[in-house]
Amino acid sequence: MSRRIKLQLNRVEGDLEIELEIKNGIVTDARCIGTMYRGFEQILIGRAPMDALAITPRICGICSTAHLYASVLALESVSNIIPPANAIRVRNICLLSEEIQSDCRQTFLMFTPDLCHSSYSTLNDYQSIVAKFQDMQGELYQDAIRFSRDIIEIVAIFGGQWPHSSYMVPGGVTSLPDRRKVINSLAQLQRYTQWFEHKILGTSLADWSRITSLAELNNFTQSSDSAIAILHRFCRDMGLDSVGSGSEKMISYGSLIDPENPQERIRSDGTYNYKLKKHAPLDESKITEDITSSWYHDESQTARHPMQGLTQPKYDPDSEKYSWAKAPRYDKDVIQTGPLAQLAVAKDPLILDMLAQNGSSTWTRQFARIHRQASSLIILKDQLSSLLECLDAPTMIHCPLEDGEGVGMIEAARGSLGHWLKIEDGKIKNFQVITPTAWNASPRDINQQPGHIEQSLIGLPMPDLDEPIEIGHVVRSHDPCLVCTVHLLGSGKKHRFGVT
Amino acid sequence: MVNKKITMLWMQAGACSGDTMSLLCADRPSWPEFVEQYGIDVIWQPSLSTRPMSELMEDIDAIINDKLILDILCVEGSLALGPNGTGMFDTLNDQPKAFVIKQLAEKANNVVAVGTCAAFGGVPAAPPNPTESTGMQSFQGESGGLLDNGFKSRSGQPVINISGCPTHPNTIIQTLISLVEGYPLDLNHFNQPGEFYSTMVHQGCTRNEYHEYDIEEEHFGEPGCLFYNLGCQGPYTSATCNTELWNNRSSKTREGVPCLGCVSPDFPRNAPLFKTEKVGNIPVALPLGVSRPRYMAYKDLANDAAPIRIIERKMKP
Repeated sequence: MSRRIKLQLNRVEGDLEIELEIKNGIVTDARCIGTMYRGFEQILIGRAPMDALAITPRICGICSTAHLYASVLALESVSNIIPPANAIRVRNICLLSEEIQSDCRQTFLMFTPDLCHSSYSTLNDYQSIVAKFQDMQGELYQDAIRFSRDIIEIVAIFGGQWPHSSYMVPGGVTSLPDRRKVINSLAQLQRYTQWFEHKILGTSLADWSRITSLAELNNFTQSSDSAIAILHRFCRDMGLDSVGSGSEKMISYGSLIDPENPQERIRSDGTYNYKLKKHAPLDESKITEDITSSWYHDESQTARHPMQGLTQPKYDPDSEKYSWAKAPRYDKDVIQTGPLAQLAVAKDPLILDMLAQNGSSTWTRQFARIHRQASSLIILKDQLSSLLECLDAPTMIHCPLEDGEGVGMIEAARGSLGHWLKIEDGKIKNFQVITPTAWNASPRDINQQPGHIEQSLIGLPMPDLDEPIEIGHVVRSHDPCLVCTVHLLGSGKKHRFGVT
Repeated sequence: MVNKKITMLWMQAGACSGDTMSLLCADRPSWPEFVEQYGIDVIWQPSLSTRPMSELMEDIDAIINDKLILDILCVEGSLALGPNGTGMFDTLNDQPKAFVIKQLAEKANNVVAVGTCAAFGGVPAAPPNPTESTGMQSFQGESGGLLDNGFKSRSGQPVINISGCPTHPNTIIQTLISLVEGYPLDLNHFNQPGEFYSTMVHQGCTRNEYHEYDIEEEHFGEPGCLFYNLGCQGPYTSATCNTELWNNRSSKTREGVPCLGCVSPDFPRNAPLFKTEKVGNIPVALPLGVSRPRYMAYKDLANDAAPIRIIERKMKP
């Protein structure tokens, strides 16, 4: 028996709805539906190019630093300007602090509360899971609110406030770093690191970085009661290490510009196919956006490179189109992005081994978001220390704004983020944004290829249609913040239920 | 403290979630402390609730049918009325979200617009306003909001606008406390609570000494004042940014970013945001209430009086 159900997901970055077809307790088809359109790209057209630094951060309250960073890179690329090393350090410090904040909140406020669901009460460690992760009450839920607030103070120290500031400008940063700011930041970082080592990892960052295979991880987690150990055991008992893989192809624009060598990224860019175990260099010209299934109008009917991109909304509920999201493709292929892809492309040995053994499963993806913090905390300390060593060096060079085309590509907390812009007569002529969630939650393209999240749901067992908590784990591991409502369609009876 | 649980429902419309993120940064008190200490029954907070969404839909029905009392409705994000007035740019359960929120507002004891989008339309309502977005009871400070000018919630108040992009963390949490405790809000002309909107952003800016002696910057990354050339709105924007610092630490102007006037009804104003509009060499908009001839006289004198340590920009902002 085949049934179609529709699932509504309320996410932080906008609203998402998922329509599923279920046959014999298995998801046989999935459609990801973006239910909100805000029109940022249209608002930017005609404005002063600098205004992008105020407008694009407001696309997302969680990754506003990443949008600011992408916009400033796009503006600088028009004039071929590379800012001084200290400006890059300040930008990296802020981006890393935002990323750590996001990984922390996503894990402990969005993902782990679901594990406290009573249907898992018979699994080992359930009492510990509830004590640590229950929403509002759990020890680590409360800690996460406190420590994420602490670490994000670093952005305010250098950028004035978080979210939504505009301290990165073409040529550098507006703030003047001094020793007080660095020492203040190091104190915040130290506080977070101690918590993370003590309660999350159960070991030091240095010892953690020596775990480079799944076997070593299993070994470590067997004899520890740290959060990561309990989560590793529990999520594997739940079977989350064998579902929700999605696309085998992964993309990263490269995380953090290397201040010493600005053409390079600290975590390298590129693509990775984990089934073929093949890394490849990134080719920006292979990125296109397809609108076959999206409520936009384009007479040319072909997928466009974002520099030639058009955003002309045309709502048509009676057509085959079903989403406000466009479908980004890389070399015409569906590709996934996020911490897992970022670490795989950067050849993190533990992540490559987990991918080889468990695929890009729901747990591997969520694990990557916790694991990434360990190396990010080390890089953040390194960036602050290097800044301290040469505080007198400049943080700004003159950057005239010229007409032309520019692109800014960086890794936000959720994955690859790109801004493409054209400036003509001193004004923004065109602006196109491809967010990480656009990559992951894309609808079907002209070849009817389902998007990455769609693929990760197809084949998922759904034994209990009245309580499809599995869907929530899989979708949340992609880092949308969501709550779900499911309608059972076609049976004459309409159900709504949530994923808790 | 109150004995009875206060019900609160937080809806996100055309939002970036920035105000929710701001809420999580509040610490006097924090969000969990507020919920516990003030006896709040959180019916829904979209980023934080783990209740099944089916229960939200049931509770919305119950509120609309007068079966559940809603003490505080918080709205985050602009209300999209497009395309063509249908509201279908932003839907909840196949319904235009703006119209669901309108029904809830009509039943709520208090309605709070959190952030400039919900208060006045904000960024999505900027020209060409492609989504036909507006605020709860105001479109950029004028009529044309989702609710009409005469709207009053059941407690007799209009929509309480705590604008900001995002709103300051403690402005959110302390306005909610004021509602729970029944403290007077002293709403101003834009229905903003006077407690949080009666201080110029300029006040407390650590670049004030430069402003005082008319030492103004033309380029970013310098220590001087940002008002004269770089578009700073601090001298005519009312908010607590420099008197209750952001994230316990700083403010945009202290770190060299001009105030963008993000609490104002016309934010983001339809002009280059990082440039000061001038007639001749005098800014079109002067510090609030200051007359042009007197301002010019004062500036000339101030510039003459500037000490060397300021002229040479030796003072750290």
